[in-house]
Amino acid sequence: MIQLQKISRHYPVGFGKNYILKDVDLTINEGEFVSIMGPSGSGKSTLLHILGLLEEPSEGQYLFEGERVDKMNEKKRTQLHRGAIGFVFQAYHLIDELTVYENIETPLLYKNIPSSERKSRVADVLDRFNMVAKKDLFPNQLSGGQQQLVGIARAIVAEPRVILADEPTGNLHSDQAKVIMQLFKHLNEQDKITIVQVTHSDVNATYGNRIIQLRDGNILP
Amino acid sequence: MWRNYLKTALRNLGRRKLYTAINVFGLAAGIASFILLTLYLQNEWTYDQFHTHANELYRIRLDYGERDQPVTHTAMNPSGLGPVMKDFPEVKYMSRVYLEATTVKVGDKAVNEKKFIYADPAFFQMFSFPLLSGNTATALNGPNMVVLTATMARKYFGTTDVVGRTLTINNGKSYQVTGVSVDPPSNTHLKYDFVASYASMGKKDSWNAPNYFTYVQLTDKATAAGLHKRLANFIQEMMKGQTRSGATLDFVPESVPAIHLHSIADNSIEPGGDIRYNYILTVVSILLLLIACINFMNLATARSADRSLEIGVRKALGAIRMQLFWQFIAESCLITFCAMGVGILLAAVLLPYFNNMTGGALRFTNGYTLYVLLGAVFMGTTFLAGTYPALFLSGFRPVQVLKGRIMFAKGGNIRKTLVVFQFAASVFFIICTLVVGQQLHYIQHKKLGLDRAQVLVLPGAGFTPDQLTLFKSRLLQQTGIKEVSASYDSPVAVGGGYSISAFEGKPADYSMNITAIPVEKDYLRTMGIRLVAGADLTNADIQDVLRTDSAKTNHFFLNETAVYKLGLKPDEAVGKRLSLNGREGTVKGVMKDFHFASMKDKIAPIIVFPEYNYFGQVLLKTSGGNNQQVVAAIESLWNQYQSGIPFEYHFMDEDFNRLYKAEFSTSNILRTFSTIVILVSCMGLLGLAAFTAEQRTREVGIRKVLGASAGSVVMLLSKDFIRLVLWALCIAAPLAWYAMHHWLEAFAYHAALSVWTFLLAGVLAIAIALLTVSLQSVRAALANPVKSLRSE
Repeated sequence: MIQLQKISRHYPVGFGKNYILKDVDLTINEGEFVSIMGPSGSGKSTLLHILGLLEEPSEGQYLFEGERVDKMNEKKRTQLHRGAIGFVFQAYHLIDELTVYENIETPLLYKNIPSSERKSRVADVLDRFNMVAKKDLFPNQLSGGQQQLVGIARAIVAEPRVILADEPTGNLHSDQAKVIMQLFKHLNEQDKITIVQVTHSDVNATYGNRIIQLRDGNILP
Repeated sequence: MWRNYLKTALRNLGRRKLYTAINVFGLAAGIASFILLTLYLQNEWTYDQFHTHANELYRIRLDYGERDQPVTHTAMNPSGLGPVMKDFPEVKYMSRVYLEATTVKVGDKAVNEKKFIYADPAFFQMFSFPLLSGNTATALNGPNMVVLTATMARKYFGTTDVVGRTLTINNGKSYQVTGVSVDPPSNTHLKYDFVASYASMGKKDSWNAPNYFTYVQLTDKATAAGLHKRLANFIQEMMKGQTRSGATLDFVPESVPAIHLHSIADNSIEPGGDIRYNYILTVVSILLLLIACINFMNLATARSADRSLEIGVRKALGAIRMQLFWQFIAESCLITFCAMGVGILLAAVLLPYFNNMTGGALRFTNGYTLYVLLGAVFMGTTFLAGTYPALFLSGFRPVQVLKGRIMFAKGGNIRKTLVVFQFAASVFFIICTLVVGQQLHYIQHKKLGLDRAQVLVLPGAGFTPDQLTLFKSRLLQQTGIKEVSASYDSPVAVGGGYSISAFEGKPADYSMNITAIPVEKDYLRTMGIRLVAGADLTNADIQDVLRTDSAKTNHFFLNETAVYKLGLKPDEAVGKRLSLNGREGTVKGVMKDFHFASMKDKIAPIIVFPEYNYFGQVLLKTSGGNNQQVVAAIESLWNQYQSGIPFEYHFMDEDFNRLYKAEFSTSNILRTFSTIVILVSCMGLLGLAAFTAEQRTREVGIRKVLGASAGSVVMLLSKDFIRLVLWALCIAAPLAWYAMHHWLEAFAYHAALSVWTFLLAGVLAIAIALLTVSLQSVRAALANPVKSLRSE
């Protein structure tokens, strides 16, 4: 489903280059649950951002379902971004000014989904995550775990095929983390959503079915 | 989608109360000022354009001059001109207008009316003052007919249904009401309360006294140039063989809609507006809006760090730049909408005060132009103020934000430039306000050469010489009255064109235009005019003047300017014989120069002479102190000697100030709106300072832990802003100098521009900015550093 071929990412430093990722080859198949691990500064987040189309590689090719992403026009990229990819962040990144309901609704707005369908889809997700009672609360009225649940709900409401999670439990204590990880596992197994997570925790990595180790911009064999 | 934008916007604004308040009230102040100034300017620019035939209406100006002397332009013509022009092929209608102050009496009610005019029958056919009742073609076509305004009808009769009723004016004549007109709008120079038929005056047409306004309506095919040419031919024909060499005479048609702002004629019915002040006010109103918009832009971009996370998340969720752009435009639209509401409300509440200040009678219902303009302002403000922040904010790269890097507010240089611009405008206005104030102070306190303080003027007297003598002697018995005299005209605003047609020792064809005031014996003493040669009038001199036989002789007083112009020294002039419009006599004395006209003009030659025909006003020099008691005493005496005319009085200072009406009202407007400019700029600065203080909380905390004093922190946070204000000062000072230098040039007598004014303005601007900034920086400096560091 996802193929990275000789992907590099570097910044100019003086006259030279500072590589964050160097010649990364990676294939992720549909339905996989991949954990990316590695020390700080090893390029985990950059890799995730490249996968999520938030950042462009300096060199190499990114193929999504066999199609080269860098060759796509702006419209198609946006469609891919909106339709196929969901993001979950370590710091949740909910919009403070919007309620739980409105936060979950936002990706659908950007996808121009009609109002009635938006309503039913948001209602479904709220129901599934047992958050119907909390739909009118603002993010600062929720606990960290609840906020991350909203974050995940927001990521899946647009029915993506891949969820990219950047240390989704990094700000949570272990009980909450367990709930979130089980939810990911469930989404992977039941809904067949491909999941790529960045994590520091060996425990969390075990929820997935493959672990990729990054060191200094390279994947360890 | 839009609902989502709107909701986010509303909640964002609700959370940031200071920011929202600054934006809304800053813009509202800008919009309210814009509305008021637009109403004012609209009134000025549309003067007399409402007449159906506005473009065919002309008033005839009279230009005359003598050899080597500047040409005099006057709006008044001899009464003979009108009937002649009526027969020109270019002229469709003609109406003369004669303005008179008179007492109108209905039953027991008698009031002095100043806006009483006489006009020819075509008046209401030419000018579009609709009649509520009566016929426009016939309302003035016979003697003793009068049309009055609805307001006057209600004032005298209590109703507007008054056609056929009668009213009496001061000479005892009764007039029949033949029509009621709407009140003339505020944008006409022909503001009347009563229009009586011209025939009522019973005067023969003459070519002597230029006391009449002549208006014509041209036929479809005629042009002003054609009319001018015909007038020139007519003069040539008429004056054949009579002109003195070097004398010029010209009748010039002036378009009626152009009279208010463009006429160069003196003695207009209403003093004209000054087009330069209109330009200034146009600039002011646009500048005010701009400055308010700058606040919006600055605050929005300064807060970018605040919004960056939201933008990053939205982008990660699939928003494209356009969608974010429109979200921010929606926000600025919302703010502009609120500001518009508050602004319109503010303008409505302030309109009466503004009218008071400008002496106008503006209303909100002056057509649709204002509303179209407001729509344009709404769109303009939304996009001008919104586009830059929207482009700026929507351009953020989401990755940097999401990676948790601290976003520093960008666009610092543009922001600084805009602040400099705002403060440059503020400093400019401070300087202008100060200089205009100085000039007005100069005008009011300059030694005029006559003493107008504590001089009471009783207008509309019309005493016979005997009555006056009696009235005067009784007045002088009153305590508190030092001198009493009378004159034809007010000494600070004399009209009347006379000329000296013979002077002893000059060639036979010598002639000099001169301003003249017929006066009573004690005039010079009452007005405090000093003599540099000769002596004041004695009773014997008055006897000379009053004689009717061949021994009658006049006594004249010339001012120094007139004497120098004659090529004489004051001592040499005394005793010389001269002839003034047929009055033979000798020079009795030479007066020290005094200001009798606006300080815009150089002192001109003037001649003062006793003549006991008509006294327009009685002048009283009081000792100050208990004025009310003195006035009460005068009133009771007045009623004894002048039962027909209601008692009225004013101080001569008021006459004097009326000369500078345009300057005073401009000064008021300028002062008010500079205050608003400064206020709005300070609001923006306050917002920026608050933002900077917030952004540097951590830095301030660390500095304080390391031992920085509160003072040094305040300094740290204020320094940057003060530098901006200094820049603004450097930009504004030369511009203001240039503008004010130009403005002062218009006055023949003016205050000097001093460096101190500029220094004062600079100190003022810095003080205001410092005060504003320190409101925030002091708070930041005094905050407990432990708290700010813990919150990081």
